[in-house]
Amino acid sequence: MFEKILIANRGEVALRVIRACRELGVRTVAVYSEADRDSLHVRFSDEDVCIGPPPARDSYLNIPRILAAAEITGADATHPGYGFLAENAEFAEICERSGLVFIGPTADQIRKMGNKSEARRTMAAAGVPIVPGSDGPVDDEDEAVEEARRIGFPVIIKASSGGGGKGMRLGEDEEGLRRAFVMARNEAKAAFDDPTVYVEKYISRPRHVEIQVMGDKHGNIVHLGERDCSIQRRHQKLIEESPSPALDAELRGEMGHAAVQAGASIGYSNAGTVEFLLDEDRNFFFMEMNTRIQVEHPVTEAVTAMDLVKEQIRVAAGEELTLREPPALRGHAIECRINAEDPENGFRPSPGTITAFHAPGGPGVRIDTHVYAGYHVPPYYDSLIAKLIVRANDRPEALSRAYHALEEFIVEGIHTTIPFLQTVLSHPDFEAGNVDTHFIERL
Amino acid sequence: MFDLDWIRKLIELIEESDLDTLEVSRFGTRIVLSKSPPVSARLSFADGGANPATAVDGARAEARAGVGVEDVSTAADEPSEELLEIHSPMVGTFYRAQAPDAPSYVEVGDQVKVGQTLCILEAMKLMNELESEVTGVVREIPVQNADPVEYGQVLFRIAEDEAG
Repeated sequence: MFEKILIANRGEVALRVIRACRELGVRTVAVYSEADRDSLHVRFSDEDVCIGPPPARDSYLNIPRILAAAEITGADATHPGYGFLAENAEFAEICERSGLVFIGPTADQIRKMGNKSEARRTMAAAGVPIVPGSDGPVDDEDEAVEEARRIGFPVIIKASSGGGGKGMRLGEDEEGLRRAFVMARNEAKAAFDDPTVYVEKYISRPRHVEIQVMGDKHGNIVHLGERDCSIQRRHQKLIEESPSPALDAELRGEMGHAAVQAGASIGYSNAGTVEFLLDEDRNFFFMEMNTRIQVEHPVTEAVTAMDLVKEQIRVAAGEELTLREPPALRGHAIECRINAEDPENGFRPSPGTITAFHAPGGPGVRIDTHVYAGYHVPPYYDSLIAKLIVRANDRPEALSRAYHALEEFIVEGIHTTIPFLQTVLSHPDFEAGNVDTHFIERL
Repeated sequence: MFDLDWIRKLIELIEESDLDTLEVSRFGTRIVLSKSPPVSARLSFADGGANPATAVDGARAEARAGVGVEDVSTAADEPSEELLEIHSPMVGTFYRAQAPDAPSYVEVGDQVKVGQTLCILEAMKLMNELESEVTGVVREIPVQNADPVEYGQVLFRIAEDEAG
């Protein structure tokens, strides 16, 4: 087991990793930007190192400074959390070369799944169903149109180096596609420094269902069930739940098997999530694989009684997987992401000082947060301030528990998305479990 | 990070024990607690970021109780002077000289010029020379040779020369 882990992240996930380390008896090093001097992860870690001014590229994305911090504190491993450098293959590789264990997959695995059009090819070769689309990048408009005619309109143009819902454009017919193609390439170049795009069939009312997988360094890999993340706003997830109302045991088995095949095809180790689109006819298609622990991992923890971050650390330290068979999913869990945004004004970010903070509690209520009364939410980073995860015996109880927990959740001084989440939770379609990824748009 | 409650706990610790002196340091912030009466009850934090006002009040209150808090980085009786702080632009290890047996680049009291090398900051086997941005006299070097330093940590305090 490691002696000391440097957490290359901030906010609630940094605190999450510190908690796992504490239970494993591992010492922790927090790194922080000047904007995070009073952050909880700095206060609760054993050691801390200031690594730069507030902007992420000068701090949390600054590889030399993070490595230097590991060097001067003698850390033997680093956990990248999610976001920032978590899926940066260069960072994983530099860690590998410097003898600092990267708690995650290998640089090569990150790279393979990071290039979205290459990932599709890898999956197709492994026999995992993929969304019908171009075999690799599409270089010009004419080729795009040809592909679209083959697949069938409408199609979506996606950036090869994109992900997380960014760099995507719809082409509903030939003319629309030609226009969208040029714009998509320009956007991809600007956002990801890579203009290559590929074309996929556009599935009209899909559910977003992802499978959590975990592999070790001994060739074992297992799936830990699904999370339904169909409630998204601009491709950013807001609410996640497990089990998915759309899955029965048979479909779960098929999708779980496909996800394991996907991971096994690249010898995947550590935590990962295989995202699928599920259409209304129970067909599922590989969308992308996220080679990191995800924000919504507590949903899986709630229904499997597992600690995924501890498992990540154990696996990275060379231990074998705790579970070899997919666990039974017990009960129902729902997570709500609470962001510092104003839902009444276009979800405009709402940084500032939190003047009052009371988190809900009671049976089956978990809060993962790094904020507290008096905390100043900085404007430099993402707006997630807390995650509410409820667990109950069944879905109706979980819905009720989540709704009432949000009622009890008091955050003053900034705007939050709490009222909006309550609107979603009490919507008849959501209550019926009858949603797709366009649900929020239609509200 | 040092804060007032933590300092109070240190004071309790030394009062309840037979120790005469207790010294604690991390990242250039050093606190020395001594039962012998102090020359001055001034306390300063060498990390450049903290506001010393509340700490000084606390220190004065504790001095009345018979325990002194002493600043090790400078002579206690200096008249206050406005000093320019040179902050570390990176994370790494601080070295006063080019090599273990070489003379230090600068000493307290030295006159330095813009562009003059003040120290080495090392990270991942790469040596970076830190150059002075000002002309003046080095008054304080609140870090020790081979100390690990973080971004923003105060390395030198320089009395800038008046514009000629």
